[in-house]
Amino acid sequence: MPVIRLYYRYLEKLVGTDRETILANLPMIGSDIERVEEDHVDVEFFPSRPDLFSVEGVARAMRGYLGIETGLPRYSVTPSGIEFSVDPGLATIRPYLGSAVIRNVKLDEESILSLMGLQEALHWAVGRGRSKVAIGIHDLDAVTPPFRYMAAEKSHAFVPLDFDREMTLDQILDEHPKGRAYAHIVSDFPRYPLIVDARDRVLSFPPIINGELTRVTQETRNLLLDTTGTDERAVATAVNIICTALADTGATVQSVTIGGRECPSLAPSERIVSSDDASALLGVPLDSTALSSLLEKMRYGAGPAGVSHVRVLIPCYRADIMHDWDIFEDAAIAYGYGTFDAEMPRTFTVGAPHPVMAIYAVAREVMSGLGYQEVLPFTLTNERVLATKMQRPLKDSVLRVMHPISEEQTVVRTDLLPLLLEMCQLNRHRELPQRLYAVGDVVGGTHTYPRAACVSTHAAADFSEAYAVADAFCRELDVAVSVEESDDPAFIPGRRGNLVSGGKTVGVFGEIHPAVLNAWELEHPVAAVEIDLTAVPGYPGQQGTP
Amino acid sequence: MDLSPNEKRLLVLLEKVKTADPSALAAEMGVSPESVIQYAYLLADRGLCRVEKEVKTTYSLTEEGQRYASEGLPERQLLGSFNEKIPVQELTRHPLARIGIGQMKRKGWVVVRGGMVEKTGKDAPGEDELALRDLSRGGPGLAELRRRNLVTENLETRYRISVTPEGLDWARRGLDMSEEAGTLTREQIVSGSWKGLKLRKYSLKAPPRKIYPGKIHPYQRVIEEMRQILLCMGFTEIYGGIVQSAFWNFDALFQPQDHPAREMQDTFYLKETLPLPEGYERVRDMHLFGGNTSSTGWGGRWSREKAEQCVLRTHTTCLSIQHLATHPEPPVKAFCINRVYRREAIDPTHLPEFEQLEGIVMDRDVTFRHLLGFLKEFYHRMGFPGVRFRPGYFPYTEPSVEPEVFVPSLGWVEMGGAGIFRQEVTAPFGITHPVLAWGLGVSRIAMLRLGLSDLRLLYKIDIGWVRETPSWLHGPDTGVGGQKCR
Repeated sequence: MPVIRLYYRYLEKLVGTDRETILANLPMIGSDIERVEEDHVDVEFFPSRPDLFSVEGVARAMRGYLGIETGLPRYSVTPSGIEFSVDPGLATIRPYLGSAVIRNVKLDEESILSLMGLQEALHWAVGRGRSKVAIGIHDLDAVTPPFRYMAAEKSHAFVPLDFDREMTLDQILDEHPKGRAYAHIVSDFPRYPLIVDARDRVLSFPPIINGELTRVTQETRNLLLDTTGTDERAVATAVNIICTALADTGATVQSVTIGGRECPSLAPSERIVSSDDASALLGVPLDSTALSSLLEKMRYGAGPAGVSHVRVLIPCYRADIMHDWDIFEDAAIAYGYGTFDAEMPRTFTVGAPHPVMAIYAVAREVMSGLGYQEVLPFTLTNERVLATKMQRPLKDSVLRVMHPISEEQTVVRTDLLPLLLEMCQLNRHRELPQRLYAVGDVVGGTHTYPRAACVSTHAAADFSEAYAVADAFCRELDVAVSVEESDDPAFIPGRRGNLVSGGKTVGVFGEIHPAVLNAWELEHPVAAVEIDLTAVPGYPGQQGTP
Repeated sequence: MDLSPNEKRLLVLLEKVKTADPSALAAEMGVSPESVIQYAYLLADRGLCRVEKEVKTTYSLTEEGQRYASEGLPERQLLGSFNEKIPVQELTRHPLARIGIGQMKRKGWVVVRGGMVEKTGKDAPGEDELALRDLSRGGPGLAELRRRNLVTENLETRYRISVTPEGLDWARRGLDMSEEAGTLTREQIVSGSWKGLKLRKYSLKAPPRKIYPGKIHPYQRVIEEMRQILLCMGFTEIYGGIVQSAFWNFDALFQPQDHPAREMQDTFYLKETLPLPEGYERVRDMHLFGGNTSSTGWGGRWSREKAEQCVLRTHTTCLSIQHLATHPEPPVKAFCINRVYRREAIDPTHLPEFEQLEGIVMDRDVTFRHLLGFLKEFYHRMGFPGVRFRPGYFPYTEPSVEPEVFVPSLGWVEMGGAGIFRQEVTAPFGITHPVLAWGLGVSRIAMLRLGLSDLRLLYKIDIGWVRETPSWLHGPDTGVGGQKCR
């Protein structure tokens, strides 16, 4: 999540109160404070609220929450008379364009950084790494309207930001740091998106890089915004958030004509919500007046529409209001999460453990009673552990994760026993005897199966011990088993057996093969048992859990 | 002062002989000399006898040394094997040449010149040869023989045990010599002969032998405690597969298909696919335009292929929604504590797999206030009296809340997420009543309860830690015990 840096001096000025009050209330409007510093605070806001990714947006919300200024913030937009055309060729590439002109901005070093920070945060949260939306901000006075958003030849050339020479679009993708970072978004396109002015000078190669020509500096007074993307709603949201943030600094927003429509309008949208629904959801009685005043604190325009309904005007910068409940959550925040009288639900039900968990609990009890100590190995492991070191073939049903983090964790465990031997290896320095067990899920194909396994290592560990433990465990779990010769290569021939129940092999036990002991660097014999707990009577279903 | 029977017997003996070596006393007592030394030290601790220990060094010939003592050192034998001079090549064929030639040169008995070994005429027996005949000569000759591994040094410890005046005094005052028994036998218990039996007393100063019982892992115990709390509150436990389709893991929970959490850097994807359930179209429509609710949906596109792809479940909320899909009528109270998978590199606070506590309450008139009530009650029972709530954000709940508990050493600690399932989540499955839901971090509570700062200890464990951690878990550092429900 993006971390927004808020300088107290500017924030205090915008909000109109002291930093202590602001800091105390920041978490209560929905944020995580990362670091509190001498002159600033770093705050992480939720991805659902990109309008809080600027200090102006935070101040706007905070003024409402603290009751300093409530209700809908009004933004006026006048037409700039500037036209911005979209070539039809973009329909299959990057179809949507949003724009605005912002006049009389006062920029200093800090506010340029803040604007760039907002832009980057929006690229992340709304733009999904620029693939859905990309934003360019330009010095309007360096170029000549009207502007044109076009699908350009890849050989088209201009001077990109931070460079002093002309480069073709393909060169930019190969050589410019931003080009390399975002080339994957455009690499499949036959032509590339480009924004040019009346004299065919390049403003921007969205979503990659702006031109050096329109670089924004402290001398810039008038801005042109371009926002391109693949999702119309997200493109509009990004424009609205930037325009309202700049308007809050005292700048003037003007619209641009795109395909005959004025953009942006910065007008609120409207929803009628029921205060009864809100009361039912939140558990506090709210009439339409009470709900309205809570929503006004959250910077909605809200007024009763009858006794049980509220007409809500949703500010244009709110990207997250999809459903009435989104509005009710804001009412809850305004009400104060700390103010709610928390009450236990009165729903009466009788609890019950899940059969698999109940079987696990008894398996633990029996293994503990037999003197074994529980361990909790990971589910993710690798082929060396499951197969190579065990002298076993890797099962066909093993699941491989597609993008493992490390070589240690490439597959999901199909057995528990190898992980217990790994545990013995990790604990070689600990006193013997070591008797360890694990109960837990293994995976074969897309099914999950419950298992139990144990190992005992000491100078006298042998087949008889494994046989006795397997027998005791099966008796206690009421699994009727017969025993037959096993051919499991992890065990010593002639010192291994399969547990057979209902005509199916459900377990294996015996004395671990010395070559396996060598592979695990173990110096003492190991008696081991593993059993499939689907064989336990009462296990729900026969085929594992999908 | 209680003397053991053996100490008494030794003291009685010492009264007679006053002083002796252990082997003489051992013969008399019918025990080993080592035992006598042990008893003597026990008496000496009480000032009743004195143990003098003398370490004497002796030397003896090794097997090789013994051979040379009778046949002569290799260089002497080699010198006697030729006359005035001999070609080097020829001499090297002698079996002792390897050791002998060098020693002869070093001692100045021969010189090697033009491929010939020539005697110098100086061949008087050196210190080493004299010492070989008589080890007691010692000196540099002996040192040389030790260097050549022909002689070994032996340390012989001799003890001398003498009674002290206090010991004599004790012995003369008379000692109760009646026998003490080490073990109580069946015979003695049954026959009643135990009545005349004196059983040896054990010292409490010696530490007990350490044994380690079979036990449930401490982390599992914390999990069991949570299970018990939820079962006592009337929740039904749910369980399900580790492998889930993205449909159940994400789409059914209204996570848009382009949501960052769905990207492969955060989620373990598998190449396997699972078929979509009947009625999946209602979920698709919800994403596209909000289905038949007041929602706008996410818009954009919805890919069936993306929904069919399998993942290792990133949360157990996928089990909650499947439970609700098959139990759409109220009331439902269900929970699950099980492992979830996130594509995170292993460090002290992150693991790619960890436990999550998942719970839902669905009923006709449950509200946000009830959700907070449940969370408060649960944490109180886990031993955290201070609980507060902050707004949160999760794609599938609205309102959302982040509960925090107060830990004196850490302050407010975030404990997971909770909220009311969005209608976009519940409506496609015909669920018409509110669903309170939470997913709480289990390992974080366990770490507080077990005093751990490294998450990895919970899994890749040192069994020494499991052995030493008590099975009875009391409260975290809030000082308040978890209220067990038994």
